[in-house]
Amino acid sequence: MSQLDLLLLVLRVAFGAFVPLCFIAVLVWMERRGAAFFQDRSGPNRAHIFGFRAGGLVQNLADAIKLITKEDIVPDHVKHKFYFVLAPVIVFSIAILSFAAVPFADALILGGKKYLMQTIPTDLGILWFLALAGFAVYGIILAGWSSHSKYGILGGLRAAAQVISYEIPMGFAIISALVVYGTVNLTEIAHYQGQLLFGFIPMWGVVVQPLGAIIFIVAAFAEANRTPFDLAEGESELVAGFHVEYSSMKFGMFFMGEYVAMFTSSAIIVTLYFGGYQIPWFSTEVLVNNARAITVLLMLLMPACAWIFIRWMHKNNRSHYDCPDDHRVREALIYAKIIWGVVAALEIVLFIYLITVSGGAADRILVALLQIATFLVKTTLMCFVYVWVRWTLPRFRYDQLQKLGWQILLPLSLLNIFVTSAVVVALN
Amino acid sequence: MGAKAKIMERTGKSFYERLYLIEIFKGMAVTLGHFMTNFLDNSKLYVRHYPEVQPEIPARWRGRHRLTKHEDGTMKCVACFMCQTNCPAKCIMIEAGERIDGRSEKMPVRFTIDLLECIYCGYCVEACPMDAIRMDTGIFAVTGADRQSFVMGLTALLATPGAYTEEEYKKGGV
Repeated sequence: MSQLDLLLLVLRVAFGAFVPLCFIAVLVWMERRGAAFFQDRSGPNRAHIFGFRAGGLVQNLADAIKLITKEDIVPDHVKHKFYFVLAPVIVFSIAILSFAAVPFADALILGGKKYLMQTIPTDLGILWFLALAGFAVYGIILAGWSSHSKYGILGGLRAAAQVISYEIPMGFAIISALVVYGTVNLTEIAHYQGQLLFGFIPMWGVVVQPLGAIIFIVAAFAEANRTPFDLAEGESELVAGFHVEYSSMKFGMFFMGEYVAMFTSSAIIVTLYFGGYQIPWFSTEVLVNNARAITVLLMLLMPACAWIFIRWMHKNNRSHYDCPDDHRVREALIYAKIIWGVVAALEIVLFIYLITVSGGAADRILVALLQIATFLVKTTLMCFVYVWVRWTLPRFRYDQLQKLGWQILLPLSLLNIFVTSAVVVALN
Repeated sequence: MGAKAKIMERTGKSFYERLYLIEIFKGMAVTLGHFMTNFLDNSKLYVRHYPEVQPEIPARWRGRHRLTKHEDGTMKCVACFMCQTNCPAKCIMIEAGERIDGRSEKMPVRFTIDLLECIYCGYCVEACPMDAIRMDTGIFAVTGADRQSFVMGLTALLATPGAYTEEEYKKGGV
């Protein structure tokens, strides 16, 4: 194993471990500010460190300190303390692990060797996700059972029944996607989506598999236990459902696990149906061959984006009441300086790249970084859809949920398999 | 016979509506509209920026209590126990003593209101024959670090000024 192998191994594992963790903070922030904006409120915008509130992100830090320092109670009536403690660990670790097979950039070719840009460079792909997504519910069932309370056990039972009914349409939706892609390897699936349909439409999963995409997205919402399918929590009926007996950081683990699961299933949805890391109309080969032109384009686009963002920030980051020497305006001025500094630094890096190392391996690394950025942007947008749906739709009633799963999604997904297979066979 | 029953038209049964997805997308468009307006210009939020911007409290609003005084600075309260008797939450505790300023026979030597017990119903104000207790301080948020700090004593109740002029209070605000 050469040094390069080792370096890439460490980088990929670090990406797979830390990006989901970082996204917890981003998603909690997005959920709270997003919810507020959907409901015409302002959301958490007061917590700050030396006057820097980072648009409300600092609130997460305050929440984390609160959760960590709260009393950690294991109720006396809990008979199986081991399982009680194990449950949140399962939920959280499974959520992080299931991200491991998602490719965040096209296979990187360095020194004649091909490196799969996945945390675990395996070609199990979607099977890995399916196996682990099914396993995550064990944590919820275990939590409900071991907390030995009727609300907990009802929440756990609901989660179990729900996952069984939605795993099937999800699996069928994946089958029809696999019929189209012809592989289970997620890197190859994303690669397939870099082609163009009729020469001008990006051949994304959502274009070639529209019904499958809808079924999969609905089932993924149910798998991640998000509204409108969050019956396992159902605070209006079950207090808090499966995590009703949990406090402090054990509750925090469930909470973080939910957001990691949301991130992971967004990543899977993006990889299967929205082109993964592919930039539309720019496949990896095109990008590598035109690396210089794209660098120049980036160098032009970056200041423009920064300028628009800073204008937006100056417009919105001010106090909407009489406030002499507005601290929010001062804060925004400092942010603007930081952003311009970062943009300048990036411009210098790109310029140095252009005049010295462009062509060869550096191009491929640049393209990989671009694709990682694209992948993260797409995943963030998909997470926004999760938040958007949560604050739009009310929760299903339990019988409606089962009816939707068995009577609508299941026949539709079966139909989708037949239609897809027929079309694929006819076209071949 | 009672009022004429109005028969509401049932909706949601047409095929178009039973497809769900189209209606869901319509709903999502509505919420996204709200999001985008607020995201692009957050001065459009329907929010009062409390605590920097305080709400307007009308004069009739029942805030924290105070004890009123005559013009010469002597307290109006004659320790008749009307408020204490009338209090449904039993939060007022009066101890009567001999009056020393010569206005009448009695005055309270102790007058405590436990704000944690108080339900802010305003019956004490209505019961008072001397207009000695009022809830016109405009204080609506009482905070404290311990329970004892919520028990208002005679001096604290006398020291708080009313937030409104006499005319405003009599008129009951706009």
